[in-house]
Amino acid sequence: MADAASGSTERSVQVKLVLLGEAAVGKSSIVLRFVSNEFQPNKEPTIGAAFLTQKCRLEDRVLRYEIWDTAGQERFHSLAPMYYRNAQAAVVVYDVTKASSLEKAKTWVKELQRQANPNIVIALAGNKIDLVTPSASSASPSPESEDEADDATATPGETTASGEPESLRQVPREEAEAYAQEAGLLFFETSAKTGEGVVEIFTEIAKKIPIDQILASSRGGAGRPGAASGRQGAQEGGVNLEENNTKSKDACSC
Amino acid sequence: MSTISTHLRNFKEPTKEQLTQLFFALPPSVNGVSSASGSGHNNTGNSEKSAVGAAEAELEKMEINAVLSLGVQGEEDSYAGKLYLYPPYLAFASLDRKSVRFTLPLCTIRRVERLNARAGIYALSLSLWHGMKIVVQLTSLRPTADLFCSLLRDALKVELQKGKMKAVKPFVKTCYSELLVANATAPGNTEEKDGGGGGGGSSKSAAATDDGGPSSPAADSMYLGGLGLKFKFPGDPKKLREASKTKLWTNYLRTHGRNLTLLRYPQCTRLIQVGLPNRLRGEMWETLSGSLYLRFENPGFYEKILAENEGRTNTSTEEIEKDLHRSLPEYSAYQSEEGISALRRVLQAYSFKNPETGYCQAMNILAAAILIYMSEEQAFWLLEVVCDRLLPGYYSPSMHGTLLDQRVFESLVQRCLPIIHDHFQEVDVQLSVASLPWFLSLFINSMPMVFAFRIIDCFFCMGPKVLFQVGWQIGFVGVQRMIVPRLILFTAILKINGEKLLQIQDDGQFIHLMREYFASLGDSAHPNSSDPRARAITRFQELLLVSFREFAVITDETIQSERRKYRSEIVHSIESFSKRAAIRNLRTFERFTKDQVGLIYDALFKAICIEPPPAVSLPPPSLLTTKDQAEERPETRIGLRTFRVFLSEICTWARTEKIVSNGFQQRIDREVAEHELIDRLFYFWDTSYRGALSFQDLVSGLDGVMFNDLMENIEWFFNLHDKNKDGYLTKDEVLTLSESLLFIFRHEIGDAYLGAVSRFMSNAFEYGDALLPRPEGADPDSEPPTIEHNQPYMNLATFRMVVLADEILESFFETDFSSTFRLEPVPIQDIPNTNTGLLGGLWHNIASDDNRKIFNRFTDEIGKTIGKHQVYTRPAIGKYTALEEPKARESLLTPTMRRTASKSSLTSPSETPANDPSLPTTSTSSSSGSTLSADKSEPTVSSATSAEFSPMPSMFHAAANAAALMERTPFAIDDAKDDDDESDIETDVEDDGVMDEVDAFLEAHDSGLTEAERELAQGTSSSTAVWSSLSAHGCERIDLINAEPVK
Repeated sequence: MADAASGSTERSVQVKLVLLGEAAVGKSSIVLRFVSNEFQPNKEPTIGAAFLTQKCRLEDRVLRYEIWDTAGQERFHSLAPMYYRNAQAAVVVYDVTKASSLEKAKTWVKELQRQANPNIVIALAGNKIDLVTPSASSASPSPESEDEADDATATPGETTASGEPESLRQVPREEAEAYAQEAGLLFFETSAKTGEGVVEIFTEIAKKIPIDQILASSRGGAGRPGAASGRQGAQEGGVNLEENNTKSKDACSC
Repeated sequence: MSTISTHLRNFKEPTKEQLTQLFFALPPSVNGVSSASGSGHNNTGNSEKSAVGAAEAELEKMEINAVLSLGVQGEEDSYAGKLYLYPPYLAFASLDRKSVRFTLPLCTIRRVERLNARAGIYALSLSLWHGMKIVVQLTSLRPTADLFCSLLRDALKVELQKGKMKAVKPFVKTCYSELLVANATAPGNTEEKDGGGGGGGSSKSAAATDDGGPSSPAADSMYLGGLGLKFKFPGDPKKLREASKTKLWTNYLRTHGRNLTLLRYPQCTRLIQVGLPNRLRGEMWETLSGSLYLRFENPGFYEKILAENEGRTNTSTEEIEKDLHRSLPEYSAYQSEEGISALRRVLQAYSFKNPETGYCQAMNILAAAILIYMSEEQAFWLLEVVCDRLLPGYYSPSMHGTLLDQRVFESLVQRCLPIIHDHFQEVDVQLSVASLPWFLSLFINSMPMVFAFRIIDCFFCMGPKVLFQVGWQIGFVGVQRMIVPRLILFTAILKINGEKLLQIQDDGQFIHLMREYFASLGDSAHPNSSDPRARAITRFQELLLVSFREFAVITDETIQSERRKYRSEIVHSIESFSKRAAIRNLRTFERFTKDQVGLIYDALFKAICIEPPPAVSLPPPSLLTTKDQAEERPETRIGLRTFRVFLSEICTWARTEKIVSNGFQQRIDREVAEHELIDRLFYFWDTSYRGALSFQDLVSGLDGVMFNDLMENIEWFFNLHDKNKDGYLTKDEVLTLSESLLFIFRHEIGDAYLGAVSRFMSNAFEYGDALLPRPEGADPDSEPPTIEHNQPYMNLATFRMVVLADEILESFFETDFSSTFRLEPVPIQDIPNTNTGLLGGLWHNIASDDNRKIFNRFTDEIGKTIGKHQVYTRPAIGKYTALEEPKARESLLTPTMRRTASKSSLTSPSETPANDPSLPTTSTSSSSGSTLSADKSEPTVSSATSAEFSPMPSMFHAAANAAALMERTPFAIDDAKDDDDESDIETDVEDDGVMDEVDAFLEAHDSGLTEAERELAQGTSSSTAVWSSLSAHGCERIDLINAEPVK
């Protein structure tokens, strides 16, 4: 689907990113949209975790995202540490039409902040906004008749049937945004179906990732970038994009 | 919010018998629960009740050496092996456990004949339902063979009486193989089949079709099939060579039985290896996995469980709904309502039947896959077998089975492919990131479906073929037999890709490589070979080949021992993960540190191990819906019984600890105390009125008491007893409060606390009365107005005053009370642990609770005989020292009493255990202070040093009844009562006359007192000096206490 594992040929920065969130909020769909700009209405649930990669150009720098898309069901929770260890970025996804999914997202954030790489950049993404913004989804009719089931999954398309799209929204943007601010997270509302807001997540994360640390550590032959940035945990996670650019030129020239 | 599960610890190694049952895929507890109405040989079934019991008892299991040969055809070789009678099944496995085997329900046996062959040969000819005859020659000694035959006869009779024979005919009609064979055979053959054995004639009258299907004259077309019949099977039938496969199978099934009577000869396995024909696949899966027997034994169960639970929703059904449209969505059936609803019903039925497992993602994919080949009912039972027996623990909430096999897999890779393993270690790649989905979804969504289904064919069949080695005794392992080929397969995948794997640098590349490999399975394995035959070999064939040829070294035994090795590790990591999660999910730690919260969790976990909370019975959703979203998630809450155990872990007065020495060992017997105070505390902490406490409730509750200072403790204690929270205690509540205090003090040595409580009561009532509001203008000295026992009586201020009036109580509330709550690490071996790590198993065998009890009782008996047995109850507070002893705010201690005190003060400590347990009961039943203490005037341990303290003026004028009380219960001080010392005390419990004798002894040996003691006895008040001299003379002191009574 994505670029194959060819990281060694091109000088790019590898960023390990993990997606977390309740089942059926659309984690895999977000990744699919980002990686291959596709949308599958009935995406199979992820078992364990899926792995995809995507390159992302930021100014003159190439980032190679290694994306770990995890299973959402509660009982897979205990496997998650295996996937988020050494991750430099995390996208915690919830479903704007399901209030409980934000609660689950909060526990994920809490866990990441305590257990994961201390420098990890966390983004909070409220998915499925096509279900609550009338213009976005009315154009796509769906042959399915299973309203309930579809609303609950990552398969929008029934919006038109409900007549009053805004009523589907259970998580006000303001509430989630306030929480994100308080917890120090990047915040987005997205639709994997329409593609709205998806690329932005990854761009903003790219800006916030301490790329130079990763570069410096990998150049030093220190092995895994995640471990390296973990070691330099004292530094502030947020790095200005401009700063990056100036420094990265030197880094790139070698 | 989190759930705490202890069931992982309840794992038990399967017994030999269970392993055999698993090997032959016998339904569990077939003859345990089924209501047999038949009878044994000496009972003709007249008395139903006893007959059932008798029949169950008599249907013995037995195994015997035998040689199997196909009776009629004689095409096959004979195979030596073992014949197992496990009513209602007869099973056989050849010696190598892989070549030949069968599992026959007894009801498919139409006739058994003893063959009169040459002398010395004992052979039975069995005519089976499908007209085949098999001959088993029993090669054991004659008496054994006779016994086996009689057991077989009994078991067959029972089956006949149960009418099971009649169920066979309608059942086999649901199997496709019948149609297959019937179509292929000449009509004459069919008749022969039906008329074959006269013994099974009853089957012809089988009119009722238990499967609920309509009994049409064209019964042969009734077979059950999957969605594939309507929506097409995946793959190109031509490419799959369906026709020729079907033909081969038809031949095999005609000669070797089918469905219930299938005999598995080597050819069967070979046929399976090349892939099952689509139409037959479902039935063969059923037969090979043994789910066929479950369906046979439980007709109508599937419909019933669906009907019973119709309309029910729970977490599982919600989760199922989410995934229905996401299960093999590319297959056309799952784009239609028909397929979706079939999938929904199967998954729901499973979750209703197995609420503990419920629904796990990946089950939807598995269920969707098997539904292509089989009907809902068949799929339901197959799913049951897969989740329960073949992949135990894979889909459970903790997924421990998955994690365990991941660990085993890793260790196998280490063993078989060390180069790859080392490389992975070096670049820090975890195998399980890729292999976990393979395990969980049986490759169905990892590789092209056509190949995945062929792997599943092998999964249901190949284990025995590849793995069971010659000469294995019955101690082989059945549980894992299906796992083994898969592990081998996985290992093979790694092996084939070995060179490339050595180049990968991280997890991502690893997964990519695997994905590419799976996608190319249909390609030629040797595309550049000049030999066209080699070019024709696909990568998939190569994979199977390598799997089963090169990794035959991975045996069941290996897997079993690896699993044993890692099981405790996995359990431990799951438990510590849930501990971390539980702690993380707390809303607040209150004032505890993380470590302390961890200790609380440990205590809670242990309590749950000992006393599992009742199954989660959530109140109706209407009651549960709160604004707090987090509350909606399932959470472990403990009931009162578990709470008592929990509290006994943390709180010294919530347990009774008896220190028992019997000359051999010294141990502490700990019992969980029961008292109203504990129950009261439970409801006090249950702030959300659920009748159950969560981990958070416990943390908050403990916080409310463990960090208190004097005033806070007094207030806390007051609130605890103020039932209606109106700020006043009633008279009854004052009494209850006193009882609570007495309960806490029940094991304290000496009478100091007892006295304090009785003083408290008299003071309380005196003050309470004095402070009661009087009618306007009434004489303040007049009789106080009477007040009902259940009316508000005493407020906090008064209570505080009364408490502070007594030094003992003051010091109790100041420090002692809080310190009775102790967070101490729970010793590991105290937790009931059945985990089977090497040591764990050993420890469990040797030191099982029962064994320990027996050992303890044994040594106690010996101890008693040799007069060394001693029981001593450890006090809850136990920090009481002479220095803090109330120099009594007592004015009532008269010189005469002093003598009493000194006389009784040497009473042996052994009196305590003998009498103490009765204390709470006797005292709680009394209603006033005086009777209270009077009941219990037995002085307990103290030393001579306590005898005389200069009385101090009492702050209150004690009531007369209190004075009377004082006379009888002088305060005794125990200065030898440090924890260390307790254990050293040795006295004979049994001696009733000990008190008098001790008194006599005291008088006679007065001169034996040391300087220090005499000083003390004379009332020297410079306590520090006394203490130091006491410790200097520690030996004498102990001698004094330990002195044997003079007889």
